[in-house]
Amino acid sequence: MNWVEKYRPESFLEVKGQELAIEKLKKFLEEFTLGKLTRTAKKAAILHGPPGTGKTTLAYVVAKNRNAEIFELNASDLRNKAKLEEILRPAMEQQSLIKKGKIILVDEVDGISAVDRGGLSELMTLISLTPYPVIITANDVWGKKLAPLRKQAEVIQLKEINYSVTKEVLFDILRKEGLFIDNKIVTEIAVKAKGDLRAAINDIQSISKTDNLDEIEFDERNKETDIFNALKTVFKEEPNKKTLGVYNSVNMNLDEIMLWIEENIPLEYQGEELAKAYEALSRTDIFKRRIYRQQYWRFLVYENILLSYGISAAKKTPKTGFTSYKKPTRILKIWINNKRIAKRKSIAEKYALYAHVGKKRALHEFPLLVEIFKKPEVQKELKLNEEEIDYLQNKA
Amino acid sequence: MVSGIWTEKYRPSKFDEIVGQDSIVKRVESLVNSLNIPHLMFAGPAGIGKSTLALIVVKELFKETWKDNYLELNASDERGIQVVREKVKNFARTKALGNAPFKVIFLDEADALTPEAQQALRRTMENYSATCRFILSCNYSSKIIDPIQSRCVIFRFKLLERKDIEKRMNVIAEAENVKFEGGAMEMLYEGSEGDCRKAINILQSTAAISPTITSELISTILSNAKPKDIRTVLDYALAGDFQNSREKLLDIMLKQSISGQDIIKAIQKEIWELPVEPEIKVKLTEKTGESEFRIVEGSDPFIQLQALIASFVLAGMGKG
Repeated sequence: MNWVEKYRPESFLEVKGQELAIEKLKKFLEEFTLGKLTRTAKKAAILHGPPGTGKTTLAYVVAKNRNAEIFELNASDLRNKAKLEEILRPAMEQQSLIKKGKIILVDEVDGISAVDRGGLSELMTLISLTPYPVIITANDVWGKKLAPLRKQAEVIQLKEINYSVTKEVLFDILRKEGLFIDNKIVTEIAVKAKGDLRAAINDIQSISKTDNLDEIEFDERNKETDIFNALKTVFKEEPNKKTLGVYNSVNMNLDEIMLWIEENIPLEYQGEELAKAYEALSRTDIFKRRIYRQQYWRFLVYENILLSYGISAAKKTPKTGFTSYKKPTRILKIWINNKRIAKRKSIAEKYALYAHVGKKRALHEFPLLVEIFKKPEVQKELKLNEEEIDYLQNKA
Repeated sequence: MVSGIWTEKYRPSKFDEIVGQDSIVKRVESLVNSLNIPHLMFAGPAGIGKSTLALIVVKELFKETWKDNYLELNASDERGIQVVREKVKNFARTKALGNAPFKVIFLDEADALTPEAQQALRRTMENYSATCRFILSCNYSSKIIDPIQSRCVIFRFKLLERKDIEKRMNVIAEAENVKFEGGAMEMLYEGSEGDCRKAINILQSTAAISPTITSELISTILSNAKPKDIRTVLDYALAGDFQNSREKLLDIMLKQSISGQDIIKAIQKEIWELPVEPEIKVKLTEKTGESEFRIVEGSDPFIQLQALIASFVLAGMGKG
């Protein structure tokens, strides 16, 4: 079992080196509970700090402490409509229906909000809609773009974990595991981790199984490129043969990667480069459909080439500088919109059945039909319920 | 009960009430009179009487038991051929009620099925041919695979002429005490695009506001139903602001529930209003056509539309 999971703290006492943050978070939740009555308290808290300092852990510990359930939203959920629905539906329901307390956790918000306000506004909607406290984690919170979120939320900083604290934790784990590793090596790991406790624990676990300690390369840990590194390679570097394999080590399928590319092309490319990149993406999409229709999976080769080398070759010269890539937000936007138009959809469906047309066409023609739906006799005829009638009178 | 929805209230219920499809109606009527029908296929654009004729067929065939012997499905609504097969199976399993020798299944928008799904449908049609007749409707018969076409008697519906639609509108207007003023009738016909169902809906929506139908009122109703702000999307793109163009595009598609194909249609029309050289207009139209083709071929319309607005950005830079 992964030691990071095995030894993840379950109480405040076990969380090392973040005493100040713990106090602030406790206070936030207490005020939230009181403020619910007065509607003045802040509805969200941002836990920010470098990777591996305990942001997510702290959220779980505080939930356990308050006997609340966590609804976790992370990058892959934002792209997964069904999952999002499943997670958020109960959370969006009316307060009175719910017994146990809940906390919504939005992990790693940097990505979805870094460049424009689009992703951020979805999150703000979420915060304003939900009756539960929202805990957000982020690596860097001081960017200009996060300003509106900062205003709405309690900002709580988590510090890098001091190397001596890291060492303490590592020795504690080794003791529990009944293992001995030389102090010098543990110190080296703790120093190299640079405040990232998770990395340190992973490193110590990996070497605990090695006999020949001299040959250890601590940097092995970083070999698995994540999506951000893959995007960097594709967008910044000159295309070469290695570009073709750039997605091999990314733990996502090509459909997901396509959404990431789509979201981030405009951050890197302009003008002709932009058009070329979208041309490659457009062709990728056509191969995707061909695979789907014909079940001819060799087309996947072309999908991969276009999406890696093709996107990379759209630029004239290699790019420098740092780009803060965005997480795809389209699926989340679609989800929120579906909530918004749910009533319109249900009315259109009732009409479709009644008037011998397809549901899609009925939904599409809705603006043309809305005056007709407003007639009481028609509402009765279509057996519209109160909510649907209310929607027609007030929102349509 | 008389319906409050005019498309239902004034839906023809007898063969001779259908306008503009005389020869088809005659042939179908004679089939029905023989009390046995083959599989039928009704091809033609929306709102010209395909569903109406199917309904009349079953009502004439089955009289008062028509509801028990008739199943209506819409291929674009049902998630995959499996659902269609399941529903057909459950319906076809039991014997027809009354004196009817068979039941009728009406599959609307059959051309929404993929060729693979149509192959499956063909098997289903064969398996239940003893107890069921199919009436398929589609916009284009060419999108229906040959084996199915050859099992059906095909009727190609004509686009309704202006006089046909006007005739129908006048009948309804008189019965509902509404009056046309000025060029209202002409605008109504233009707005309907030859779709009688749409024409009646426009008429009723307008009449809900005022019993005197003016061309001004009709254009208000019509503009509600058109994709709005497409021009904004294109203006952003031509000004080189891809991000805002993309954002706006997604917003329109979601908030107004508009399909990729309808967006393309609107873009294609809007090109002529853009402040660009004639040569660029031609190029953009060509790009738009290619993009429409790819939306049909591809899986994600939004990706194709982004690619299109990226080429509008280029055109805006004078590099179309």
